[in-house]
This record gives sequence, structure tokens and C-alpha cells, in this order.
Amino acid sequence: MADLRDMGRQDSGPHGSGRQDFDAVVIGTGAGGAPLLARLAQAGLRVLALEAGEAHPPEAMPTDERAQAGLFWRDERLSAGANPLPFGNNNSGCGVGGSTLHYTAYVPRPQPDDFHLRRTFGVGEDWPLAFSKLEGYFDELEGFLGVSGPATYPWGPPRRQGYAHPPLPLNGAAQLMQRGAEAVGLRTSPAPNAALSRPQEQEGYGLRPACTNRGFCQAGCSVGAKASMDVTFLPLATRHGAEIRAGCFVTDLERRGDRVTGVVYRQGGQERRVRAGAVFLAAGAIETPRLLLRLGLANSSGQVGRNFMAHVGTQLWGQVEEEVRPHKGIPGALISEDTHRPEGADFAGGYLVQSIGVMPVTYASQFARGTGTWGAALTSHMRGYRHTAGINVLGDCLPQPGNFLELSDEPDGRGLPKPRIHFSWGENERRMNAHATRLMTDLWTAAGASGLWTLERSAHVIGTARMGRDPRRSVVRPDGRAHDLENLYISDNSTFPSALSVNPALTIMALSLRTADGFLAARRKGESACDRGALEQT
Amino acid sequence: MSRDPQGAGATLAELLKSPHVTSPTRQVLEERLEARHEPRALQADEFSRLQAVARRLVPPDPALFVPGEPDLAGAVDHRLASGLGDGWRYDDTPPDLEALKELLDVLPVDFVNQPSEGQDAHLRRLQERLPHAFEDLLAELTEVYYSHPLVQVSLGVAPFADAPGWTRIGLDEREEWEPQVGGAAPSPERHG
Repeated sequence: MADLRDMGRQDSGPHGSGRQDFDAVVIGTGAGGAPLLARLAQAGLRVLALEAGEAHPPEAMPTDERAQAGLFWRDERLSAGANPLPFGNNNSGCGVGGSTLHYTAYVPRPQPDDFHLRRTFGVGEDWPLAFSKLEGYFDELEGFLGVSGPATYPWGPPRRQGYAHPPLPLNGAAQLMQRGAEAVGLRTSPAPNAALSRPQEQEGYGLRPACTNRGFCQAGCSVGAKASMDVTFLPLATRHGAEIRAGCFVTDLERRGDRVTGVVYRQGGQERRVRAGAVFLAAGAIETPRLLLRLGLANSSGQVGRNFMAHVGTQLWGQVEEEVRPHKGIPGALISEDTHRPEGADFAGGYLVQSIGVMPVTYASQFARGTGTWGAALTSHMRGYRHTAGINVLGDCLPQPGNFLELSDEPDGRGLPKPRIHFSWGENERRMNAHATRLMTDLWTAAGASGLWTLERSAHVIGTARMGRDPRRSVVRPDGRAHDLENLYISDNSTFPSALSVNPALTIMALSLRTADGFLAARRKGESACDRGALEQT
Repeated sequence: MSRDPQGAGATLAELLKSPHVTSPTRQVLEERLEARHEPRALQADEFSRLQAVARRLVPPDPALFVPGEPDLAGAVDHRLASGLGDGWRYDDTPPDLEALKELLDVLPVDFVNQPSEGQDAHLRRLQERLPHAFEDLLAELTEVYYSHPLVQVSLGVAPFADAPGWTRIGLDEREEWEPQVGGAAPSPERHG
């Protein structure tokens, strides 16, 4: 014990109290980790969050796409399959706040039928919980984060409460989508975005100002208007006594029997450990299964790393007569969910359509990658950047045996095996993509765009440790606890049994709060003697 | 130094002095304007081949104003020497430095001295033969070029001049401090 205490004392400093015993340790500070960290701290638990990345305070955030590299996970991932998924400045996050530092804050709710794709279509996987179990959390989150949205949202079940703030202003791409949608008979609405259209007081942080329409959400918000975790749940958590240690990469989970007893991590080249009454793994759908596979944990089902999914996220771009200057305004200002269950579709599930803003370097890079254009053809295309506007879709993805994450033989900079992610579209994704491409082409043509080109892409990493009631077919229970371990929980997008036809952030946060509430209720009941034992120890 | 008929240089200098650019942004941009890198990751002959490749893949746009030649190859070499990646790579492609060397090795020894038509023919074959490594290099060169603030101003945008924020964000709306220079009318050609 003495040597452990000595080790703990070395932790004192800007990010460390030196404490080495916690009721709960949360690994990751993104949308999965931060909400439950706050909930547990508010309940009076002694909680610690370990974050692999560094803090990126808003006031230090440059408005620059290349300088944003520090927000992303730069340890290399290997992308295999017919539709290899890019990582780095897409589909990864690193920093206090995780991927929410660079998400676009697009937060439409999933609809009730998103949770039972198999029941409706006979394919995919049903969730072990219904929309109604999350609805209260959606209400709570939209208020707490300060979601800006329309007074009446046209899709989904009637809402019990309105959005916290009026919608954000429409940028050029949104105006064009309105124009095109009207012509082809598609309903649109200002989109719900977790960025403030009015200032809002945030407990533990202070006043968050309204969005300045800077448009660089994907490069990190520099004013705190966007509801990233570092200006919302994390300050709430620390206000209630939670501790956050940045630059801490978790390497091991110590176990005794079917309990996790401690967390081992590296910070600044030193190995450290803390004892934990419970561990909440919230490292995202790549690092979560990577750690579990490396440690051979929570995998009696053989499902860890399996059921990897990514949304069909095809974009369509064109240029119009008007100046668009597409780097301004909230990127996803306008939405349509008329395609949630399109009539006569030859695929399962559905998708949403959104107008999209784009920063210049991102646009140039994806044009070069997506079309293979170089030389004078590339630079002449880019001269039209300020006339450029895009739309994209975001749709379901079915799990398939060939889509999974595994550990490669190639070590990364830390000496740990790089993950290899296999991803190929199946028939359902191909059909949905074809349907969406036709629709977007009609819409953008009607809006007056020419020189159209499509970027077939996938976005958001989902699956790899799915939840379910059957321990032979799933990794965690519906409350997020691992089937195989008494006190290990997973709270991130890896637990999603299906991809849903909306962006994942809001649902990740809702599940995070639900997992925390379930854990606290069980703890209050003193559900297991082990829990009591852990309480007495600390 | 190329001509600057549209005054992009003056526009940028003006903006950088103004309160429209926040200090973290200004710092990044000023460093970038200064940046020149001596090759460290590549051998001298490899580096000159990379410079020649960069000149063909992302040629300085004569319609834009950038003083001198943007140091695209130097930025790539600098990133490789630092050991930093972009967080992923295609599984069928070797690690970044190896992939780039392989790409350059395929080109003929006299590539740098060939006329541009000949170079382009080699590059088209290279794009077919090693599509993923080619795509990665093309994307990186493109990102370096279009992150140059003078290139952006020449395109008629100044996304970095974002303080206190934008209020005129709709179609054909422009803040008074946004550049009007540069940028041809949209091209009707189809891609992809």
C-alpha cells in the first residue's frame, strides 16, 4: 500500500490531487464519459476522469484547419475493406471533451422506430430498450446543453417541450437547400444544433455566449457557444468535486475475480495507477474495443470488435451563381427527415438530409481525394470555392460479419498494436446511397447548382461492444454494464446495437446519463455485497 | 514574386493587423507565412523529385497571388520528420515515409528534368499503379497549399478573420472586411 500512496502523491500538480482511491474512474471525457462523470459527482461520489488528450480551452482555439490537428487521435489506425474509413480529422477525438470538441453539434433525436429495425424490416438488430426510456434524457439534455431549434419540429413523436433556444440563422447552403427542397417537394426545417442562439449560464463554467457564426465548429469552438463537454458537463462535474487528469493513456485494468479493482495509465512517460470501485470505459468505438481486446476482457461472447458500423454519409457538392462563402454559419443549418422511411425504398431504415457548410482546406482535400483531380484542373475548380455549396445525408448502416475491428501486428508509438478496421458497404448501404444520390442530385439541380460531384463517404464509428440482454450475443447489458464483469461499464458509441438514422452524440449522452442513474440506483439499493465492500474500503 | 493585381497581399497584411483576427489565429498564420523547411526525412534527390511532383500536382495558380513558390514539399518532409501522422492509413499502404519513398522511386531518374507533359504522363501512371499512396500525397499537398492565408484571400475568402463573428452569412452577403479579390466564376465542368 505504501508504495501506491507514494505513487499517488506524484500525481499532485495541475491535473492531479494525488488521490488514488475513487468510487468510480471514467476513461474518456467525450459524450460518453462526461455526462456520467457529472451525474456521479453530483451524487457525491469521488470520481476521476482519465483523458488521453490535453485540454484545449476555447480562447486558445485558432480559426485554422491545420492547427486543429491536436484535437484528433493521431495514433495510426489501419483502414481496410472496400470502403476503408478515414480517421484522424474525422471519426476520432482527443482532448478534454473528446470528439465533442470538433463535432458540428448536430443533435436531431432518433425516432422511436430507429430502435427496432429488425422488428420492422427483418434485418439488423433491435435495441434492448425503447425510445421512451431515453425520451426524458433527450428533454434534459436539450435544455442543459442549450440546443437551438425550431418552435415546431416536423418529424418524430410530439415533443413534450420546445428547444431551449430559437434556431441558428441559415447560411447560404441552407438557403439553397430550402430553394431546392421546395422545388422537389421535400419538407425542411431549421436543424436542432447544440450551439447557442442566445447566451446561457452554465453551472461551473459561467456564461456561454451566443454562436458567432464562425463556422469552424469542426476545428473547435473558440467562444464556448457550442455545447462541447469542456464547457458543459465537465465544468459541472468539477464543480461537484470530480477530478479530471489530462494526458493520461490507460494501459491496463487491474482485476480480482470478476471485478475491476484499479486502472493503470501512462502520464508523461510515467506509469501510474488508481484504485476504482467501478470503471466506466468511454473511449469511443475504436479505443474501447481495442483496450478490451488487448486485455482479453468482457469478451466471453466473442462480440468485442464485431458489428462495426458507420453511417452512410454521402455528400453532394456543386457551385452556384451566388457567392456562398461556405465557411460561415453553423455547418448543418437545415434538415429534412422526409427520407426517414422513404416510400417505395428498396432498403431497410432511412436517412436524413442536411445542408452543409465547409471550410476551404477540408473542401480542397476531399475534392482531391474524392475525384482524384490534380494539376490545373484542381486549382481551377478551387477558384470557385466561394460559390460552393453542399448537402449530405446521414443514414443507417447494418452490421455485417465482415465489418469489424481487430488488433494488428504493427505496434504504434506506444508499443501497442494498432487497430485494423475492416469496413465495406453491403447491399443495403449501396441501395440507400443510390437513393440518396438521386434525391440530392435532383434537389441541388433544382437549387441551381452545376458541376455536381458526389463524395461517397461514411461517418461516425458505431458498434464494437454492443448492448443486449443475451450475454452470448452482446458485450454489455442494457444499462451499460459488461455481462462478464461486476463493475465495468461501457458508455460510448460502441454499445449501439444499430446505427440509428441520426448523428450519435445526443444518444451517447442520453445513454451515459441512463447508465449513471442505473448505477446510482443499484448502489443505493446496495444491490451487491461487493459494492458495499468497495464502499467500506474507500 | 508574382504580380498581385488584386491586392491580396495588402488585404492580408491589413487583416492581420486588424482586430478581426484573434491572437491564437494570428500566431498560426504568421508562423505559416514564414515557414520554410530544409529536408530532413528525405534524401536530397528524393526531395527534389518531391518538389517537382508537388509543382505538377498542385501547381501555383497563376490567378492567385502568393509570393515565391509555396513550400509544399518542405511541409510534407517536415511532417514526416516529426513522426506525426494524420491518425490513419490505408491498410494496403506502407507507413507514410516508406509509401512516399516508394512512390518517388517509381519515377524515372530524370523526372525533374522532363518537360511538364512528360511528368504528367508519369504521374497519371503513378496514380493508377499506387492509388492510395498517390491520393494521400495529393491530399496533403492540397491541404498545405490551401491553408496558406494568401491563397485563401486570393480565393475571395478570409475565414480566419472571424472576430467578432459573421452576421452576413446568406447568399451574396459579404461583411465589409471580407476580400472581394480573386476567384473566377464557377466552372460548369463535371467531376467524379
